[in-house]
Amino acid sequence: MSRSPGRKQDNHKISRELFVLTYGALVAQLCKDYEKDEDVNAYLDRMGYSIGIRLIDDFLARSAVKKCRSYSETADMIAQVAFKMYLGVTPSVSCSSAMGNEFSLILDKNPLVDFVEELPAERASLCYCNLLCGVIRGALEMVQLAAEVTFLQDRLKGDAVTEIGITFLRKPEDRKHKRNK
Amino acid sequence: MAVCIAVIAKENYPLYIRSVPTENELKFHYTVHTSLDVVDEKISAMGKALVDQRELYLGLLYPTEDYKVYGYVTNSKVKFVMVVDSSNTALRDNEIRSMFRKLHNSYTDIMCNPFYNPGDRIHSRAFDTMVNSMMMQVC
Repeated sequence: MSRSPGRKQDNHKISRELFVLTYGALVAQLCKDYEKDEDVNAYLDRMGYSIGIRLIDDFLARSAVKKCRSYSETADMIAQVAFKMYLGVTPSVSCSSAMGNEFSLILDKNPLVDFVEELPAERASLCYCNLLCGVIRGALEMVQLAAEVTFLQDRLKGDAVTEIGITFLRKPEDRKHKRNK
Repeated sequence: MAVCIAVIAKENYPLYIRSVPTENELKFHYTVHTSLDVVDEKISAMGKALVDQRELYLGLLYPTEDYKVYGYVTNSKVKFVMVVDSSNTALRDNEIRSMFRKLHNSYTDIMCNPFYNPGDRIHSRAFDTMVNSMMMQVC
């Protein structure tokens, strides 16, 4: 069990509205600062990355999961444990490639876009939740798994569901010697 | 069923006006505009204590020959004005209150949208749908 004495174990609950509004204000401010959607997306991804590289330790400490032996286990872990722990939703995982290294997480409820009805007309290609992609990418990188994470479908852009695609990039050497903790 | 619904900002300019028989739109705009005086009168008469839900609802502002005008003010001084057809079966007070409550809820949802700047005109599809559901079906 990983339980450090100095750390409160009661999962501080803050208001969900506050979190969603904070994220919204962040995206709105980035939109004001940068004109191009690609810039905003890139910065959101970068911010997510720096969150992810720190969040992974918190996640591993709190969830005490075993080492994942395959990419599909990793994807399942992200969907069922990590998303549940941090966002309270459980996306469904599907494997979308024969080689077994491309997965997609399908979110039917995304709490971050609770109050956003649709993207403003001049921001049609904004990936509103790109922070999540950066978080996943950063977290995976810290456990020695390089991956590309992008949004494949986005409800805000008119698609039916929100789909995040994770593509694990195979490293040449085997993962035998990797230790998570 | 309402005939015209308007959302007025704190500075007394309209954020959203929608009326159902679209040919007489100007008349409704004028009615709403003149009702703002009555709203201000009621607010100042009530004094500083605007905490209770009941005091947000201002009630019937004034009746004209064809229409009745109802008002509701939020704590942030945003006013909702509703014009209702008099010939329609007299809507009970509770129904008007619940319509205003729905308006208020939709308005707060819009305010939470990070891309909406307070003070802008309201261009939300969800708000339009909700208002449409409250308006009379003319055609």
